[in-house]
Formats: sequence, structure tokens, C-alpha cells
Amino acid sequence: MGINLKIILGLIALAIFTFPRGGILFAETVEDNYKLYCTQCHGVKGDGKGVNVKDMSVQPKNHTSAADMSKLKDDEMFQAIKNGGAAVSKSTLMPPWGSVLKDDEITALVKYLHKLCNC
Amino acid sequence: MRRRNYIKIIFRPVAIFMALIGFILLGGIAAAQDGKALFEAKKCGECHKIAGPAPKTIAEAMARKGPDLFYAGSKFKGDWLIKWLQKPDRLRPAGLLFLNHVKSGPGGDEVDEGSLKPHPALSADEAKAVGSYLMSLKDQGLKSGLLSDAKLNRVKAKLLFEKQGACHSCHQVKVRDQVVGGKSCPELYDVGERLSPDWIYSFIKNPQYWDPKIWMPNMNFKDEDVDQLTKYIISFGK
Repeated sequence: MGINLKIILGLIALAIFTFPRGGILFAETVEDNYKLYCTQCHGVKGDGKGVNVKDMSVQPKNHTSAADMSKLKDDEMFQAIKNGGAAVSKSTLMPPWGSVLKDDEITALVKYLHKLCNC
Repeated sequence: MRRRNYIKIIFRPVAIFMALIGFILLGGIAAAQDGKALFEAKKCGECHKIAGPAPKTIAEAMARKGPDLFYAGSKFKGDWLIKWLQKPDRLRPAGLLFLNHVKSGPGGDEVDEGSLKPHPALSADEAKAVGSYLMSLKDQGLKSGLLSDAKLNRVKAKLLFEKQGACHSCHQVKVRDQVVGGKSCPELYDVGERLSPDWIYSFIKNPQYWDPKIWMPNMNFKDEDVDQLTKYIISFGK
């Protein structure tokens, strides 16, 4: 009982001190993360035709294309999201999201991409 | 007698100077107080928050109607703010959060112009009062003098901006008087007039410090690169 209480208090303290500005950031759904961070370029439908793409020299990946997406390995997608396009020898227009998204959120996004391309 | 004259000679200008300083300070405080009353009377708080924290969830960020203003004094340049409040043109081509103003079109996503509402304009006196008030709202965590003495290296900064950061993917810039770039974030072509250099530096360094659910990545730039980028962005439109 005593040990349990200590563990719980420790976890609460850890949560408070770990998150920026002393606030607790709640876990987001993968759909919301995709919407907020990815659709500005990859499009609200995931078709690569986001509101930013008109003047881009390299067009964003169409996440709904099974032909394009099935060429990518999970680890490659994970690295591209976490460390940016340059980390997997792709365009630097894809920025690194590793400071914003936690690893498990990125893993969830990779799974979500499989759902979008149905592949 | 002579000594008294000396005292007069020294004391008078000092007293006048102190009175002037006091007058200016009190004037500023009074303008800020008027501005606060105006801010409330005009119901600006229905869209803008004047107390933190910034949204901590995506749902909260999506519900936000106007930019947070509780650190307006750290972010904006006062002169620009007062000017803008009188003639508020759009800085964010797709509104505050693109998700709330984008629709699917035949060629891809496009801004739903009908969903964007103009910002109310204030009179010159109102803008001065509200602007003074907003400039009194500061973030205590922002250090000043963040920029180094190093000169802007245009070639290096351009590479950082266009290649490494690809900042124009989301922000509009001007190339030979043509507006180009992404629409999901504020335009950058007059940012030097608009924002405090220290704030720009701090925002590039860690956007999530200011807004945990902002859709701008932390590019993990080195301090010297943030320094160059800030100077480069400030130089736009000059």
C-alpha cells in the first residue's frame, strides 16, 4: 500500500515536471494528429493535395495511393515522420516531427497511413 | 545666496525631467487602462485570450477563434500593432487554423474564403489605447537581446530558409513582388515590421513553448542558424 502510494505520487510528480510549462498534455488521437500536422501538405483527404502544395517543388506523397505507399517500409515512414525527409534521402520539404510527436504517436501514424492507402 | 542659486540651477532641470518622465509613465499607464476597458467593451475577449495558458489539446486549438494575446507585448512591435488595428488586413491566408477554413476542390484543398471573417477596425485613438494595453501583456520567460552581433550571411540564411527549413512550404514570401508559398501559416513578407526579433528567434527555436499545439515543427536548428534565420526573415520587405 505504502509503496503503491509512493509510486503513484512519483508518477504524478514526473508527469508534472516532464511536460512544458507545468501543464499536462493529453494524449491525442492519431486522427487528430494527422489532421493538425499532416493535412496542411498531404491534404484533408490524404491525397497529397494540401492547401500548401501549389508552389512546392516536390509534391507531397499521396497517402491514399496504394501503388506509392506500398513501396515504403514501416521503418522508412517512421524515420521520415520523426527525422524528416532528409533522414530517408527524400525531400527536405518533409520536416522532422520528432520534437512534437512521441515515438508511440509516430508508430500510430504509420499504422494510420496503412489504413489510408488500404495497403 | 550663491549656494541657493546652484541648488536652483541643478534642482530645476532635474525636477522638470522627473516630472516629464512621470507624466509619460502615467500617460502610458492611463492609455493601457483605457485600452483594457475598450478591449472589454468591444468584446475582443470573445476571440482573443489575454490570460494563459495556450490550448493544450488539438480540440482546444481548433476551438480557438483568434490569436492568443497574453504575450502580445513580447511578440509584436507596438507601432505596427497600432497601425494594423486601424487597417487589419489578413496575415494568415487560411485563417487562424487552416483546418477550419479549408475545403476540397477539384485541384486539391483550397481556402474557403467565405469562412474567413474580417477583423474589426478601430479608430486611431482606440487603436492607440488598445495597442498600448496589449503591449503591456508580456511573457516573463522571454529573454531580450537574443540576437548576436554576427552579420546576416544572405547565402547561408537563404539555404537555411529554403532548403533546410523549407519555411516557404507553409509561409508566404515575396519573390520579385510575387506572393508565393504555403497558406497554412502567417505570411512572412512583412514580419520584420510586425514582430519583435527576440520573439521570432524564440519561436523558431521552440514553437511549442509559445503554443503547444501549433502545427509548426521544431526544426532543431543550432542557435547560430536560428540567429541567421531571424535576421533573414526580418530583412524581408526592406
